[in-house]
Amino acid sequence: MGKLDKYTATELDSLPKWLRHNAAKYGNNKVAMYYKHKGIWKSYTWQDCYQHCKYFGLGLLKLGLNRGDKVAVIGDNDPNWYWAEYAVQAIGGIILGIFVDALPAEAKFIIENSESTYIIAKDQEQVDKVLNFAHQLPQVNKIVYWEHIGMWNYEDPLLISWEEVEELGKQSEQANPDLFETNIDMANENDYAAFLYTSGTGGLPKGAIHTHKTIIACGKSVQSIFPWSNTDNYVSAYSPGYIAEQMIGVSGGLMVAAHINFPEKPDTLNENIREVAPEFLMFTGRMWESLASMVISGMLNTTKLKKVFYDFALPIGYKKADLELMGKKPNLLLRILYLIAHSVVFHQIKDRLGLVHLRYGVSAGAPLSPDCLRFFRAIGVPMGQALGFSELIAASGHLIGDPPDSETLGRVAPMCEVRITDTNEILVRSDGLFIGYYKDPEATNKARGDGWFHSGDAGTVNERGQLVFWDRVTDLLEIRGGFKFPPQYIEGKLKFSPYILDVMVIGGSDRDFVAAIITIDFDVCCSWAETHRIAYTTFNELSQKQQIIDLVSNDIKRVNRVLSIEQRVKRFINLNKSFDADDAELTRTRKLRRKYIVEKYSKIIDAIYSSQGEYVMDTSVTYADGSNKEVRTNIKITDVD
Amino acid sequence: MTKDARGIRLEVDSLFLSFGGVQALKGIGFEINRPEILAIIGPNGAGKTCILNCISGFYRPQKGKILFGTDIINKLAPHKIAKLGIARTFQGITLYTGLTLLDNLMAARHIHMKQNFLAGGIYFKWAQDEEIRQRVVVEDIIDFLEMEAIRNSIVGTLSYGQRKRVDLGRALALEPKILLLDEPMAGMNLDEKEDIARFIIDIFEVRKIPIILIEHDMGVVMDLADRIIVIDFGKKIADGAPKEIRTNPDVIKAYLGKE
Repeated sequence: MGKLDKYTATELDSLPKWLRHNAAKYGNNKVAMYYKHKGIWKSYTWQDCYQHCKYFGLGLLKLGLNRGDKVAVIGDNDPNWYWAEYAVQAIGGIILGIFVDALPAEAKFIIENSESTYIIAKDQEQVDKVLNFAHQLPQVNKIVYWEHIGMWNYEDPLLISWEEVEELGKQSEQANPDLFETNIDMANENDYAAFLYTSGTGGLPKGAIHTHKTIIACGKSVQSIFPWSNTDNYVSAYSPGYIAEQMIGVSGGLMVAAHINFPEKPDTLNENIREVAPEFLMFTGRMWESLASMVISGMLNTTKLKKVFYDFALPIGYKKADLELMGKKPNLLLRILYLIAHSVVFHQIKDRLGLVHLRYGVSAGAPLSPDCLRFFRAIGVPMGQALGFSELIAASGHLIGDPPDSETLGRVAPMCEVRITDTNEILVRSDGLFIGYYKDPEATNKARGDGWFHSGDAGTVNERGQLVFWDRVTDLLEIRGGFKFPPQYIEGKLKFSPYILDVMVIGGSDRDFVAAIITIDFDVCCSWAETHRIAYTTFNELSQKQQIIDLVSNDIKRVNRVLSIEQRVKRFINLNKSFDADDAELTRTRKLRRKYIVEKYSKIIDAIYSSQGEYVMDTSVTYADGSNKEVRTNIKITDVD
Repeated sequence: MTKDARGIRLEVDSLFLSFGGVQALKGIGFEINRPEILAIIGPNGAGKTCILNCISGFYRPQKGKILFGTDIINKLAPHKIAKLGIARTFQGITLYTGLTLLDNLMAARHIHMKQNFLAGGIYFKWAQDEEIRQRVVVEDIIDFLEMEAIRNSIVGTLSYGQRKRVDLGRALALEPKILLLDEPMAGMNLDEKEDIARFIIDIFEVRKIPIILIEHDMGVVMDLADRIIVIDFGKKIADGAPKEIRTNPDVIKAYLGKE
């Protein structure tokens, strides 16, 4: 890689420059990416990655991509996703990601809103989705795909395969060997580099504009919380269209030259993590919670002997974790007991989950329930939470080595400032602050008019400098008499029950108490019903079984004990379906869309607050193909005493 | 994975099959001489599965003959027919339920293995190479049918829809020259049906082999098939493109119901 040597000293103010730097420094001597394909882990060195980006970038250039053009990517986490980003930024384009499970209309909105001229779609499924509307959008020049299965007989003139683009790139390189490097050097640190679309919790998604400078700053901010190195493994689990993956995997991983591992398929993620045993892992709160409930439900179904060991070990783990959280040192006896518990039980659990080598597990996206954090600390998984927004990351985090107070989101990040307003809104400022929302000056002005990012989240900074997150400012709810309660906080605690998948807590100034809409975890409840010989046919029926209702009720009682009297959940229902992003009840990052749910289920909510024991409900279910069906159920309304 | 199978010819000539007094097939005959998706439809008990069973050697027709290429196959044992290149899936699934998905597919590769029992048992280098070669083929199929997440699952623990997919995978592992599918979508929900339909189209496009499909879902049949044969009480009553079949008065009377 002699040719690239001259670039090792240039100022690294963009991701493509970092890529070139790594290729020059490590060449073929160090693996950058591992990717499981057809059952085998394959590797790409820095040199390989650079070549792919170079040819792909030059290919796009030859196809007519201009500086400042936007390129949308929709596909699973693969090396190609990362390469697409580096390549597009290298030739002056702007990258944006769309979630793989976005409906055609959602994808269309983002592509239209961003005026994307090129679309990179992974496979037949995504190509079909994009072709639904691509011909209605005159600005779309090409759709590139990188997986060939099923694509043999497509003859749409918009389509081109990744390899064909790289081939065009190779031709351009022959004609002009320095073209790619010249393009990389043309970038100014204030050029737009990526649009990160907000998840649309409060309406339509908005594209938060990041420049090379803000991306580098955000990536460094993540490193200030977790200093990782070029021997660490990271598993890319979450869509790079989402800022945390952008700043950890795409930019952070590049800057520290870590090994990025890509799962074979989204549904082999857990197995692949086990094979990799990464040092660093970022999950959303929900993914951590499902991992925890996997362990807990696994323990419900295990042999008696294993249960005995588990029941012996877990209290010891909790005790040690709790002491550490309070900043105290466990005594010698507890340390010895923990050592035994760890080697007999916890190590095995961590091994099953692939967390044995983990040095830092971070939860981002939505707040993690404190119980879940406490659980992982108890079994010896070093993890913490971080707070970030599409507009800026990371605002705060549990620093590595810090005992993470499970009620907080960690210390204000070293490269970041936080201010709390009179209305308890969290304001943040750092070099990584986004430039604005694309084509939305009004929202931009509202969000960062005074140089601070107005997050819309309510919280406080406690005496130890740790950020406590309550809820969205607009989502703090109250009940009659003005008692405020933070619904997400309560929901987080409830969701730790293995039987509860999702929950929405409701109230209102005209209501006397807090109530909850629960959706049960079907898999866990199924296996519970099976072992207890309870017959049922559908989700619908199972959710209304008295025994299942009792299970949920018991867990609510347990949570109620740690809440103040006004905040306690007094009444609940088990909904006859799960909340689903296809039904618009969740965002694609799986946050509840509260307003919509309240509207959709207004009748049942009224029924909860009147004293009916049962409610007959008609629900409309949207299937993946877009068709609708009405389902009728009797929903039981249960009091918690 | 691309195999060109043009020149493949299957001829079924006036088959008669009876079980005691029950006449299951009464002189059924048809021919396939190019890659196409041929659907066989008919009311319950019309004899559809009997035809597949005769072709794959599970039943011996009392009269008539089945020609595959130049071989007469209606006297051959099922495993020999499989070796000639005819693979099938089953209506009720017949997999090794105690083995993993991977092992089920590897087992199906045995007809393509060249090493003998001894070499395999001692696991010599060439036996290892053999295994790797076969594994590559099997991994292609796993990738093709999107079964990565259940690769190492015991087949008995899989759902019905997943098992049907494994069954299809096993048939593909034989690298057949002609594929017989016996109700591949029976008992599936809409999503699973769509997946299987997509797989059938993909198999056809990649392998370019004839596929004989028995299916009850008329929507699926009309969309997928190039040609449809309708049988009723062991007799062929129609043979043609989906468009013709839809308007054929005999078919409407026998199968689709009077309108």
